[in-house]
Amino acid sequence: MDKLKTSLKNTDKNTTALFGIAVLIFVIMGILAPRSFLGIKNLQGMCVQFPEFGILAFGMMLAMISGGIDLSLVGIANFAGIVGAVLMIRMGGSNFSIVIGIAAAILVGALCGVFNGFLIGYLQIPAMLVTLGGLQLYTGLGLAITKGPAIIGLPPAFNLIANGTLLNIPVALFIFVIAAVVVSFLLKSTVYGQHVSFMGTNATAARYSGINNLKVTIYTYGLSGILGGIGGILMASHYNSAKSDYGSSYTLLTLLIVVLGGTNPDGGRGRVIGVTLSVIVLQLVSSAFNILRVNGFIKTFVWGIILLAIMIGTHFIEKNKQRS
Amino acid sequence: MNNKIKNVLTSNEMIVAYIIIGLSILIGCVNSAFFGVSTLVSLSRSMLVMLIFAVCEMVVIISGGIDVSFPAVACISLYATIRFMLASGIDSPLFAFAMAAVIGISFGAFNAFLICKMKIPPLIATLGVSSVANGGTLAFLGTKEISNIPEHVDKLSQIFIFTYTNAGGIKYSLTVLFLIPVIVCIGAYIILKYTMLGRGIYAIGGDKNAARIAGFNVTKIQFIIYMTVGCFAGIGGMTYMILMRQASPQVLMGSEMMVIAAVVMGGARITGGHGSVFGTILGVGLITLVQNNLIMLGVPTHFQTLVVGLIIVIGISITSLRAKKIANSAKV
Repeated sequence: MDKLKTSLKNTDKNTTALFGIAVLIFVIMGILAPRSFLGIKNLQGMCVQFPEFGILAFGMMLAMISGGIDLSLVGIANFAGIVGAVLMIRMGGSNFSIVIGIAAAILVGALCGVFNGFLIGYLQIPAMLVTLGGLQLYTGLGLAITKGPAIIGLPPAFNLIANGTLLNIPVALFIFVIAAVVVSFLLKSTVYGQHVSFMGTNATAARYSGINNLKVTIYTYGLSGILGGIGGILMASHYNSAKSDYGSSYTLLTLLIVVLGGTNPDGGRGRVIGVTLSVIVLQLVSSAFNILRVNGFIKTFVWGIILLAIMIGTHFIEKNKQRS
Repeated sequence: MNNKIKNVLTSNEMIVAYIIIGLSILIGCVNSAFFGVSTLVSLSRSMLVMLIFAVCEMVVIISGGIDVSFPAVACISLYATIRFMLASGIDSPLFAFAMAAVIGISFGAFNAFLICKMKIPPLIATLGVSSVANGGTLAFLGTKEISNIPEHVDKLSQIFIFTYTNAGGIKYSLTVLFLIPVIVCIGAYIILKYTMLGRGIYAIGGDKNAARIAGFNVTKIQFIIYMTVGCFAGIGGMTYMILMRQASPQVLMGSEMMVIAAVVMGGARITGGHGSVFGTILGVGLITLVQNNLIMLGVPTHFQTLVVGLIIVIGISITSLRAKKIANSAKV
């Protein structure tokens, strides 16, 4: 019981607020449309949708903790998905080819990320610029391979990764949980995790205390790229095709999720649990709107409002803290 | 003196200029049709709106901020204005520009409020505003493209500064709207170089606290910057609509990346404090040149995004490396 109390105390206000919002949406929707919202179809549908941008959001979170930003994630995801898809089709669509395709996609993601990290860490170019150019570059690479139209005819077994279920639980959810656990472990329980948040808080101080900033930066963006690659696999599997302009709204969405999840935009602080909760909250809002048949574009509007509201709220909380 | 010339010849602006000249010669060699008044006219036309946005974005970047909301603000300004004009039967170009500018200014003021008063990082604040503006346009104003623009406004697209007819009898005309970016560029140049406000913008970008201690009113200057950007985002959106002769609620979305890339390539530093109007014009020129004329080099359409991306990455690397070199060099 004591342990529970201390752990409750340790969770910050942001996480509690997000949890509260999630519960609130569940209650409101449970009253307004209990059948359709709490039905297993809707719950399953939600669990299929959020992993793909949720995993991208983890990549964005890592980059942000390190004091940078990764705007190229969607580009990496599409490029990785396209490479994987082309390999799978070339190799005939057997189970073995699927494994090769997935491995290739993750490798491509890692390489793109390392390239970003190299430019940021070694050449000291601001992360925002590198990844902005990177988005264009990787989208362009994908477009050069596909020549425009989507790549179709992926093996049916590959389709099951995002759309299949295991014990009535979507497979994609398992992948999301694994990614969350791994990222959380890396941040909390490894030397790398300590270093990355030190570097994000103060890069100069980190360098003087003996942290190899270049290595940490390359690891961070490499990891972010790998997560991008996994996101790309999920996207390709979900749509059963690969194209260079899927998910173009995800850049804004992932940024929103990460900031909403209590990650400090200036670097140094960020928690997996916060990001996970904010992914779930956004998905709940979006599903609720769909069920209530609200105009879909209001979603974008409301997301923007939520982002600004949370930021303004944090501002006032910080101000009160300083005063007291 | 000799040193001064050397400095000018190796400055950022000149490097971009060299790339432009090299690329032009390359394109000219492959396709001799490139060298002609027609290319210049069509280039100016495609640069037009991007140039308005880029000069404004440059001012924001010099002040150490960033604004990614201008495409959304431009879209909502043009779309709301045209909806209002059609509904009320007003048909005056002046009113169109004024209303678009006012909508833009109010969004700019909102941006400035979030950034200065609420201390939200500029990237996040403007992203949020972008999402609100774009979502609001689509949800509350509609998604239809409007092509029956009021007559007098539409006529603006048919007024030309001059018309050039080539040997084949094809006409190339430079629209009168080209005067807008010209005025914006000259205005920005004068303000940045010769007024206290301009010096203040550079000072904030260099070091906000130092600027405050030196006696600049940081909040006031930031409000002026973001409101001006909003104003010209609205005007730019209206200009785009007149050029395209169609009002579409999200046609400009996504152009922010290109504009920022152009500004940075023109020598503005994303960390603030550096940048020039001339460099920005060259940066926009380079990106437009690449986008418009790769086809003349025989590059297939599906490779264009890649080539533009490569040029951006290389351009950004060169500028940043030079900035690093200057920062590390011995100071007197």
